[in-house]
Amino acid sequence: MWKRLLLIRGAELAALALLGAIPLMVDNSYVLGLLTLLAIYGILLIGLDVAVGYLGQVNLAQAAFLGLGAYAAGLSVAHFDFNMLAALAMALGVGLLFGTLLAFPALRLEGPQFALATLSFSALSATTLNEWEGLTLGAQGLQVTRPPILGMTLDAPGFFWLCLLLLALVWMAMRNLLSSQWGRAFEALRDSPIATDAMGVGTYRHKVAGFALASGLGGLAGGLYAFNFQYLQPQSFGWDLMVILLLGVVLGGRKSLWGALVGASLIALLPNLLSNRELFQAISAIGLLVALAAGARGLLKKTTRPFQAIAPVVAMGILVVGSFIVENTEDWRKAIFALMLFAVVVGLPEGLMGFAAHFLAKLFRVAPPPLPAPASLDTVLPRRTADGGALLELRGLERYFGGVKAVDGISLTVRAGEVHGLIGPNGSGKSTAVNVISGLYTPTGGSMLLRGKALPEGSLFKVARTGLARTFQNLQLFGELSALDNVMVALKDVYRSPLPLVLLGLAMGEETRARAAALALLDLVGLKEQARSHAKDLTYGDQRFLEIARALARKPELLILDEPAAGLAHPDVNKLLEIIKRIHERGISIILIEHHMDVISELCEVVTVLDGGRIIAAGTAEQVKRDPKVIQAYLGMADNAAGAEAPAQAG
Amino acid sequence: MYTLLIIQLAVSGALMGMVYALIAYGFQLTFATSKSINFGQGELVMLSALFSLTLIDRGLPYWLVVPGGMLFGVVLGLFVERAGVRLALEQKSEGWILLTIILGLLGFSAAENIWGRDDRPFPTPISSDPLHFFGIDVTPLELSVAIGVVAVMGLVELFKRKTLLGKAFEAVSADRDAAQLMGISATRTIQLSYGLSGLVAAIAGILVAPITTVGPTMASVLILKAFSVAVVAGLDSGFGVVLIGLFLGALESLTSFYLGSGWREAPGLVLLILALAVRPNGVFGKASIRKV
Repeated sequence: MWKRLLLIRGAELAALALLGAIPLMVDNSYVLGLLTLLAIYGILLIGLDVAVGYLGQVNLAQAAFLGLGAYAAGLSVAHFDFNMLAALAMALGVGLLFGTLLAFPALRLEGPQFALATLSFSALSATTLNEWEGLTLGAQGLQVTRPPILGMTLDAPGFFWLCLLLLALVWMAMRNLLSSQWGRAFEALRDSPIATDAMGVGTYRHKVAGFALASGLGGLAGGLYAFNFQYLQPQSFGWDLMVILLLGVVLGGRKSLWGALVGASLIALLPNLLSNRELFQAISAIGLLVALAAGARGLLKKTTRPFQAIAPVVAMGILVVGSFIVENTEDWRKAIFALMLFAVVVGLPEGLMGFAAHFLAKLFRVAPPPLPAPASLDTVLPRRTADGGALLELRGLERYFGGVKAVDGISLTVRAGEVHGLIGPNGSGKSTAVNVISGLYTPTGGSMLLRGKALPEGSLFKVARTGLARTFQNLQLFGELSALDNVMVALKDVYRSPLPLVLLGLAMGEETRARAAALALLDLVGLKEQARSHAKDLTYGDQRFLEIARALARKPELLILDEPAAGLAHPDVNKLLEIIKRIHERGISIILIEHHMDVISELCEVVTVLDGGRIIAAGTAEQVKRDPKVIQAYLGMADNAAGAEAPAQAG
Repeated sequence: MYTLLIIQLAVSGALMGMVYALIAYGFQLTFATSKSINFGQGELVMLSALFSLTLIDRGLPYWLVVPGGMLFGVVLGLFVERAGVRLALEQKSEGWILLTIILGLLGFSAAENIWGRDDRPFPTPISSDPLHFFGIDVTPLELSVAIGVVAVMGLVELFKRKTLLGKAFEAVSADRDAAQLMGISATRTIQLSYGLSGLVAAIAGILVAPITTVGPTMASVLILKAFSVAVVAGLDSGFGVVLIGLFLGALESLTSFYLGSGWREAPGLVLLILALAVRPNGVFGKASIRKV
């Protein structure tokens, strides 16, 4: 525990002290300029990493935010005589504002459309900076004076220390934020936006907040950039810079503050590396060797595809050959960046720090932080008294897809404390019904009441906040998060600390409580020992159980299990039965969608049978099994026997 | 007179908009099969045009230059698919966004160094003496662009509908997994779509080159507008791109008249962001149902 804290915090402090001490030891304005740029790029890349690494969105607007922040700071000094802190606050504010404005429309999209939106925003911001000559002086460029801070005028080392101080503050704040519920939410929505909403976390709001934060840091870095160079031109913030920034994040390593710092150092030094021929040859040769070694290792261990091993070698090979034959490396700058980026993206997707982290953890034998003792289940999931009153009422619920009546007028009541089975052949509307109830689809008609109050329609997020939780038939886990984090991200009524406290690192108490509570739920489904495993590395059965534990973290009154036994081996089915019984004992009502008739018979007091979007039978398991309409639906009559499914079969 | 001037501007702009539509159509082809697009498509347009220019400089007749340029575009398209897209698609990641940007940058840098940074004129046998229709001037060159665009799109659509290979293309677009179960190779079909997309980009380059002149930066503004057209129309909108292309071309021509040529790019960019806000799937796009 202490060793870990000492090593990690120690490395951070040492790096900070080292960087801060260089100006005292070396009196060289050129070195100082590089260091200042490093600190500024550090802030910028930490911001970009939030979008690219944590939110998993290709953000092509960070260079534009740097430019907007720079102009905002420069102009606020020129026109309003702002001091340094006010101007930097202005730059941060402009970044936040434009980031939010862009995020609202753009973040409803995923993938290419989002990248395109940010690309357009960059182009638009470049056009505006160029053409609004009355304000920015356009291509002619804007002179910026470095204003005083707290009445003092800063010389070059002083300004560097200011940049370094801000980098350290941003570093600490982001470390606190990203290891809190916010960071988990960012990663959760990257892995499964649907499940993030269904766990009541709110995909959209976290995405917008994360992107605005990333842009705000871009703006802040822009303010520092303006006061560092004291001369601004719109074309400095264009496509070239954006590519370099992406190179920094990808090369340094995504989802890592250290990665951002390493990336920032590399891109600050890059121009020098290119202008010195011998240095460039040496670096490309090292690159080739690394690519060869990594490729050979990957191929031998069979962890990479041949393309992943060969393509980086080819790219670095071209770079080595090029470093000897081209006349002027400066002319080929873009191609050099492109080849390096290509090799890293294909061959070393985790970046330098991702690669080094495994290695360092082994070298120093750093143990992961210890887990607290699980909380008592009674505090996490208090027993509810089942009063038998109407919990969920559906009245004439309908959902059509074009002409297909997937759910065609279902009315049923789930009473508090019961395990209500919902069965029916494939395509009978079970999953659609669940998707309508849980808010994924808006109903075409009918009404839904939970404890007599209308259930929100068409919003997973709002439904999740009413005390209803669900699992997914096709698993929707947050693959990159640990099992523990999967449960923690969904925990209800735990995270109360306001954002400023989180940023200052003063929310550790609730983190510990959340961890203990999540462990109790993992224990309930038998996954306590796997708490640290990534969800994607769990066995299939354990992934199903993890989905249940995660849904329980919502502390639901009503739990909907969508085919929890699908694809489970027999021992796991028995385990599942035990888990469901334990959940039921705590007074939680359950809707169970299942194909396994033995599971239904053993657990359900009431069974509703659907076919063709309508209810064809209801009653106890024994009653519906004997119902001729049910037998017909499953086994079919003589004319449609082929392709029907027997109720006892797995779905 | 004033109204006539406005109409003249709109018509010239709209004809130029057809080129955006053609490039946008290239995005649709690959998006249909693989849900991915080549962010370096502009470089394909530019490299094909420069390659064609070299063929002309070598003294090849025009009717050989065009297929030569087209072939070059296909080769580039296939290269992009192999080097930048396939791995990412296999890993079900969005790495192709970054990789195609990187390949585009590589192409751009190569063009700068091989062909130089200057813009050069692109000779063409088609005249640019204006014809008059109801008081509006249209050059045969502009008309050739419009006709070429419609012809190419028509031929590709015909290919998709009438040939076996084309039907495989449609099958993979509709449902990749089902098509694979029927024995259609999704990888080959995606390859085909990237080849076709490269072909379309090359034709766009050759068509537009006589108007814009040829140089490494010739496509950097074209491509932004093609993105706008593709997104505003919807990445699966078929011929919707033509309507949006015409509209955007006319709009930006008028914008540059009223606000100054520096603002020429603005309407496309604003439209793109607005379209994403109001209709994320595009004006002519289909909304997809989320499945879990």
